[in-house]
Amino acid sequence: MMTKAEQQTELKSFQNSVAMTVTLISFGMMFAAMFLGYFLVRFNSPTWPPVEIENMPKFLPLFSTIVMALSSLTYYMMENKPQQRKAYIALTLVLGLIFLGSQWSLWSALAESGILISNGNVPSMVYAFTWIHAGHIVIALGLVFWIGDFVFRRPEALTVGKLVNVGKFWHFLGVIWLLMYLMLFVL
Amino acid sequence: MAFLEQHIHDAPTSFWSKYIFSFDHKVIGKQFLWFGIFWLGVGGLMAMMIRWTLAYPGVPFPLIGGLMFPHSGGVVPPDTYAMLFTMHGTIMIFFAITPILIGAFGNFCIPLMIGARDMIFPTLNMLSFWFSMLSGLVLLFSLTLPMGAAAGGWTSYPTLSTNIGQPGAGQTMWLVSLFLFGVSSTMGAVNYITTVITLRAPGMDYFKMPLTIWGIWLTAILNAIFVPVLGAGLLLLTFDRVFGTTFFLAGAAATSGKGDPVLFQHVFWIFGHPEVYILILPAWGITSDLLAFFSRKPAFGYKMTALSLTAITVLSTVVYGHHMYTTQMSPLLTQSFMTLTMLISIPSAIFFANWLGTLWKGSIRFHSPMLFSLGVVFVFGLGGLTGLYLASTSIDLYLHDTYFVVGHFHYTMAASVLLGGFAGTYFWMPKMFGRMMDERLAKIHFWATFIPLNGVFTGMMVLGYAGMHRRLYNPFIYEFLQKLMPINKFVTYCAIAMGVAQLFFLWNFFKTIFGKNIPQASANPWEVGTLEWTIPSPAPHYNFDEIPHVKCGPHEMGNPNLKTGRDYQYQTEELVKS
Repeated sequence: MMTKAEQQTELKSFQNSVAMTVTLISFGMMFAAMFLGYFLVRFNSPTWPPVEIENMPKFLPLFSTIVMALSSLTYYMMENKPQQRKAYIALTLVLGLIFLGSQWSLWSALAESGILISNGNVPSMVYAFTWIHAGHIVIALGLVFWIGDFVFRRPEALTVGKLVNVGKFWHFLGVIWLLMYLMLFVL
Repeated sequence: MAFLEQHIHDAPTSFWSKYIFSFDHKVIGKQFLWFGIFWLGVGGLMAMMIRWTLAYPGVPFPLIGGLMFPHSGGVVPPDTYAMLFTMHGTIMIFFAITPILIGAFGNFCIPLMIGARDMIFPTLNMLSFWFSMLSGLVLLFSLTLPMGAAAGGWTSYPTLSTNIGQPGAGQTMWLVSLFLFGVSSTMGAVNYITTVITLRAPGMDYFKMPLTIWGIWLTAILNAIFVPVLGAGLLLLTFDRVFGTTFFLAGAAATSGKGDPVLFQHVFWIFGHPEVYILILPAWGITSDLLAFFSRKPAFGYKMTALSLTAITVLSTVVYGHHMYTTQMSPLLTQSFMTLTMLISIPSAIFFANWLGTLWKGSIRFHSPMLFSLGVVFVFGLGGLTGLYLASTSIDLYLHDTYFVVGHFHYTMAASVLLGGFAGTYFWMPKMFGRMMDERLAKIHFWATFIPLNGVFTGMMVLGYAGMHRRLYNPFIYEFLQKLMPINKFVTYCAIAMGVAQLFFLWNFFKTIFGKNIPQASANPWEVGTLEWTIPSPAPHYNFDEIPHVKCGPHEMGNPNLKTGRDYQYQTEELVKS
């Protein structure tokens, strides 16, 4: 039999979970609409990859993907290993910042290769999609930083709901990046 | 039964915390109401200018024309005309109807009608309003730009909305404004959906919720899913305009690569068709409740009405292609979209028949909210039926982009929603502000609105059927349209009459809120049983002293077994059986 306080905590957690699920569906629909554009371009293109992205950097997007995957892993470890929470949240933050840095490098490398945003559909997509994703990463990093504040300064106030919901957002952005990586740089 | 207990804050005391940056859902609801009424006025004035231009091309707009268009001697110039119908559509849909029906009634009604003390996320709620305000300010500011505000139509199709179609910052600000508005709507949607799922009072099953809540909740679901789709389109179009991407540019318009202008139409209508239901579902919900309340009967087929609204919500997501029959869509697709669109008429017919069933043999009280609700039944019936013509591919090819379409969507999206909004305002006014609006003025307002309204929108459909294209600055330069001048004048006279009728509402509204010697409304002046009428008027801070326990449905009226001297039961009472 649960106490009233436990019941309230569980209900609060359920409420946050519903809200985060709805939020992720909303974000997901936005990215889905962009991917729809990608598929239309892709299937209407006579050749793939089109000539304007022949010199597309290969290493940086792969590096970003590895960093993103690692950051998801460290966040997961942070959720499940309370004793090492400080180390894992710090790692997640650092990896998140490295991801942003790698994106910056990607945009610079694209420009150096002569792939500019106005060079056609595919470069437009590469820049626009990665910009929009990076914008979300900035928001998510703010949230991870917020969790970090709890972990380092007020661990008693850190609830499972906060931890799990920020995690859902972070992992969601990881999945979106993986899809982008596959669509824009691999397939 | 486990129930999430909301934390109770002390009542705010300062002006800023009480009226400006309030966390209280009731105050935020009222803020949305004021916001929506302001924009309704702005959009309405634009409608008058559009109608004047179509009735009297080349004649200065009366009274304020010289002030507004000094360079053309008071005549609305052609480019301004394009801006006017663009901004009229944008303002009415996003800044008038949405704030009133969803922002005001959603915020005000959801916690009160489900038995909660506030929205689940009060801060998010406040942010939602202030994002709307910011979005409105950006749009308002765009009207002052040297090259004018957006003028590519409310749908902002490329190429009209690209730098080639419209240079200058007006269109970009339109995009930014709508993106901000989308953020606000999504915040609201997350809040509404979560509140309804997690904060319903004990005993408030989904099938004991008032139909108003069903309508608003389904709207919130559509908002959460489809507003971000528009957001993506807006972002990419902004990139096209600002950074030189080529998502929606093709042919000579694109300096490199080839985008697809029709892609924007897909993205727009994937959002845009559900948007029709986003706007109308709350009005249907309100009407469904009010018809039962004022017929003094339980809502006929309550469950089927709720399920029909749900079915329409689902179907609304797969019919968007009927807006694009003329984009060389494959016949297989057009026929699929046509069939799916026609399918919507089944659940629509079910709840419409339920409305009539509710009225049948009811002890009808013709109070102002009921008159407006009956108005919704009439105009939605007419608007809905004309939608069937447009759903049919072969007929749509002729009627597409004519005034028939304008008349049709004004009947459904404007007339139904406007009348539903007025019904709700008159009905919940005592709970919002603690005062009753003047019934005599309200009834004058109804008839003075309802009669010319039909003149305007039926007239538009006749014009469209006769071949008058929408968005023409001066249709009468075409010989075959010259004979339509008298009907255009008739429509304009009706529009002016309808505009003047709103003064009755404004006078009544302001007099009720700010007037002296207006008596305090009782807790339950309409004698209905939903939860908000179990508490004093206006609703107190944090709504309910004790969270109510719900024991019966929202429309338990006219029960012959009742021995209480009332003909209705509160939702907190056990259903009286023989």
